[in-house]
Amino acid sequence: MNLITVAILAPLSTAVLILLLRRLPATLALLGIAIGLLASIGLLANAFNGITNEIILPGLPDLPLRLVATPLTALLSTLVAVVCNLVMIYAVGYMKLDGEKLRFFATLLLFAAAMQTLVLAGDWILLLAAWELIGLSSYLLIGFWYRRPGVTSAATRAFLYTRSADLGLYIAVFILIASAGSSDIATTLNTGGGTAVVAGLLLLVAAMGKSAQTPLHDWLQRAMAGPTPVSALLHSATLVAAGAILLIRTAPMLPPDTLLVIGIVGGITTVVTGLIALGERDLKRLLAASTSSQYGLMLVAVGAGVPLAALLHLIAHAAIKSSLFLGAGVFQHSRDGTAFTQLEGAGRDQPHCFFGFALAALALAGIPPLSGFFSKDAIIAASLASPNALMLTTFALAGTLLTGAYMARALHILWRGNSQKHDIVGLGWMGAGLAGLVTLAVILGAAFPSLETLLNESLSGNTLAQVLGLSAALSGLTLGWFIPMQRLLGPLLPWAQRGFAIAGGVDTWVVRPAFAIARSCEQLERGLYAAVLGVGRLGLGIGRAVRYSDERGIDGLIFSLVRGTVELGSRARALQSGLIHREMAITVVGTALILATLLVALLI
Amino acid sequence: MLPIVSITLFLPLLGALLVMTLRKAPVQVVHTIGIVTSGLTLVGAIWMWSRGVNETGFAQLEQIDWMPAIGAAYRVGVDGISLPLVLLSALLFFVTFIYSAKVRERPHAYVVLMLLLETAAIGAFTALDAILFYVFFEISLVSMYFMIAGWGHEDRQRAALMFFIYTLLGSLPLLLAILGLYLGSDPHTFDMRVWIENPPLSGTAAMLALVAMLFTFAVKTPVFPFHTWLPAAHVQAPAAGSVILAGVMLKFGTYGLVRFAFQMTPDAFRDAGIVILVFGVVAALYGAFAALAQSDLKRLIAYTSVNHMGYIIVGVAIAALALDPAVRATALDGSVLQMVSHGLVTGALFFLVGMLQDRAHTREMDEFGGLLKVVPILGWCFVLAAFASLGLPGLAHFPAEFQIFLATLRVEPVAIIVILGIVITAGLYLRAIGKVFLGEPREQWAGMADLNTREVLALGPLLILIILVGIAPAWVLDVIHKTTAALQF
Repeated sequence: MNLITVAILAPLSTAVLILLLRRLPATLALLGIAIGLLASIGLLANAFNGITNEIILPGLPDLPLRLVATPLTALLSTLVAVVCNLVMIYAVGYMKLDGEKLRFFATLLLFAAAMQTLVLAGDWILLLAAWELIGLSSYLLIGFWYRRPGVTSAATRAFLYTRSADLGLYIAVFILIASAGSSDIATTLNTGGGTAVVAGLLLLVAAMGKSAQTPLHDWLQRAMAGPTPVSALLHSATLVAAGAILLIRTAPMLPPDTLLVIGIVGGITTVVTGLIALGERDLKRLLAASTSSQYGLMLVAVGAGVPLAALLHLIAHAAIKSSLFLGAGVFQHSRDGTAFTQLEGAGRDQPHCFFGFALAALALAGIPPLSGFFSKDAIIAASLASPNALMLTTFALAGTLLTGAYMARALHILWRGNSQKHDIVGLGWMGAGLAGLVTLAVILGAAFPSLETLLNESLSGNTLAQVLGLSAALSGLTLGWFIPMQRLLGPLLPWAQRGFAIAGGVDTWVVRPAFAIARSCEQLERGLYAAVLGVGRLGLGIGRAVRYSDERGIDGLIFSLVRGTVELGSRARALQSGLIHREMAITVVGTALILATLLVALLI
Repeated sequence: MLPIVSITLFLPLLGALLVMTLRKAPVQVVHTIGIVTSGLTLVGAIWMWSRGVNETGFAQLEQIDWMPAIGAAYRVGVDGISLPLVLLSALLFFVTFIYSAKVRERPHAYVVLMLLLETAAIGAFTALDAILFYVFFEISLVSMYFMIAGWGHEDRQRAALMFFIYTLLGSLPLLLAILGLYLGSDPHTFDMRVWIENPPLSGTAAMLALVAMLFTFAVKTPVFPFHTWLPAAHVQAPAAGSVILAGVMLKFGTYGLVRFAFQMTPDAFRDAGIVILVFGVVAALYGAFAALAQSDLKRLIAYTSVNHMGYIIVGVAIAALALDPAVRATALDGSVLQMVSHGLVTGALFFLVGMLQDRAHTREMDEFGGLLKVVPILGWCFVLAAFASLGLPGLAHFPAEFQIFLATLRVEPVAIIVILGIVITAGLYLRAIGKVFLGEPREQWAGMADLNTREVLALGPLLILIILVGIAPAWVLDVIHKTTAALQF
């Protein structure tokens, strides 16, 4: 059996198995996800040895489905599998007391399978399918605690935001297939000219939805309504990553104009959502805003024409952000909530977890020798070398500065205040998952050179970038630790806390108009219905009038009609003379009349 | 060789006659006859499926002289466009009989009508003689009228009458068009194969015939603004009636659109292609928005039917406008598959709403809440069917809509605006799921029972097929594509 099949089917079939057996969800889930990991590692090893795995499946007529493990896709597959495994280990502890483990683990596995399909997809139809399926599974996961208030709307919002943006992907896929005549991604990457510009911009729209880029960033923070392992997964290597992965994979096709737009979108996002993160009052929501901001940085790298830098940051961020969420989950269990007012001093409750959390935070800020330093450095170097160096570098440095500031603020709050001791159920499992991810967050930077070899690309070192990046990170950390957020944000504070929504955001601009159209359709509908009924009533009215005239004095009319008919009959009898020639003549005249009528009708 | 098409076609009629002779039979026996007969019919349809279709023209032909003087004969057969619909109809009737086994109100008449309807449906899809087609087309109308009038809800009489008048007035133009085609053919014949091979009319006559046919099929499909009978009929029809009405009878409209309008007056159809396309786009978007405004679950699903059928109209219009045969085949593949998908998905949804109504005696979604906790099987089935209806990949609508949209973009890029429909339907279904199934369960529904075996048996086959068509559409598309790829236009 091909390793690609195993990587996808292992989690998927385990999900089905869990639902059928209805027992041992955690054990089975760990087993299934581990088998998937082995397959992914096998694919990566093959990629290092220069072997490309491929599967072609029957799909639509003339458009077969493909799964391919190129160096890039095998690497992403391994990343997804590793993060899924560690999060799953953590989830065993986190969900220990939850009553619906079956549903939780089955959905999580479905999610993992969909994400593996997405990264390994070699054709657009399969990619689109997996893209939408991770939308579905994240809807189910965010809505996991569907009985709690606010959860339904968070899940619905996440699905609808991303699906609206997905129209971009749909249309881009149609355009690419139409112009290349094939749905193979590798083939369509040769598209050029105006088609590539349009398709690239449409892909950007789709990526903005999934990666929660401004102005579509709002759903991600609300998605915190789901269980913490879900947030850790969605925010690191999976759901949100899909957008950046899409742009990284299609980067060879994108023309300079499109790249510039991508860079600008990413730059604005990294600043706007960085400010939102700085003004947050809740740890998980801060981390969520930070995710948008970091993905903004990746888009800056893509826009600068160095998708490899974006990829490295994606990998580093996956380990870092899932560590941060898992740490936040421990604090959440310790204090029954994630609002900063509840979390003051929570770091002192669990010093080991806090240590891991702090390492990850510093890694995100970009402090050497942690992984984030190398990837951020690569992004800043890429911006410096791009044709739009001034603008992109400003964005990248501002993003880095803000990252330092909001992470320092979070650390400060967690450390300030008094410790309260609480027992946490399942801490062993949670700690194990967290430790694994923090280790990755710390050491991954060392693996970057070999990844560059694998992908056959290299990044140029740049001392200026290192100096600029490090000073931005350090000044951010200092500001965030020592100066209160209210003073840092100043007049921007109310804006940041409202998520920079312009005049009510998407609700005002999209949802309300949609319902307004719906209501006017309903009005029209009632009108049409009334009109049809009116016609019916008119018919009935005519009927009644006829009956009225019928019952009065119509008898005479009937009798006269009868007389008339009899008379007509006797006249007609005269025609039936039995003389062949006369009857022929009548036939001819009659036919001529009919034909003439038809002709006249046609001519008119 | 066994005349399996005719056997499949007349089995339900035989069953109906049997029930009529057994007037004193107890209820269970009557329902058993219904289930067994429709089960055998399904076996016949599967048998037909296994025999397959030809590369060109029609397969499995069976023919008997009927009125030789006017060139009418009993002619039946199938191609890649009709065979999937035959299988779909047989399946939907079978599960509907299982679902209806609870009917205690005049069961004899109920089963007879349903069986009559089944023969009419399969007849309409297999008939290769225009007179025969018209007869089946009209019989179905009468049976459905009695179905709604006899077993419907509160305001059923008016809805039934509206349904009847609307579609009867609608079908008269078809009769005129058939007569026109007959008079145009030389020698005169009602053989649809001849009409398809050599379209008998041209110029203005063809256009007039096309307009007449379009009117009929637009009422039947239904297309905005001829759709007002649909929500009215659906809301009042019993659940089983809704399933058949939406799953099978709406397909008469789109099947006729392809078989008659598209194939018999091709040039006129191409000339009118843009107009038809506009009607399709408007219907799809209007249906989606109108559905968004509904709070009654059944009306909501009825309006999404207008939306989904709109996509089919778009697909057929695009097929007519396409110059490249490959693109035309894609558009038609998508349209025909969409008919099948819509039958499965909407059938399942109407069953589910019927089951909900049986328990709660209301369909207003604001009156529910948190039902997923109370009736998990029903809830998850609804979630699955709703996601299928909003076009999620891996479920039945996706491959169909993907092909329609792909072809649309290649032929008339502006019309791709119709794709907005998939976001609106996503919104309205998620809203419905949220209101009915999520949130805190309400006290009053605490005792609601989950699906019983009969209901699971009725739903199961549909849900399994929704997934099968979604994941591996090839098994249906191969049959469809065989015909559409070889289509002369």
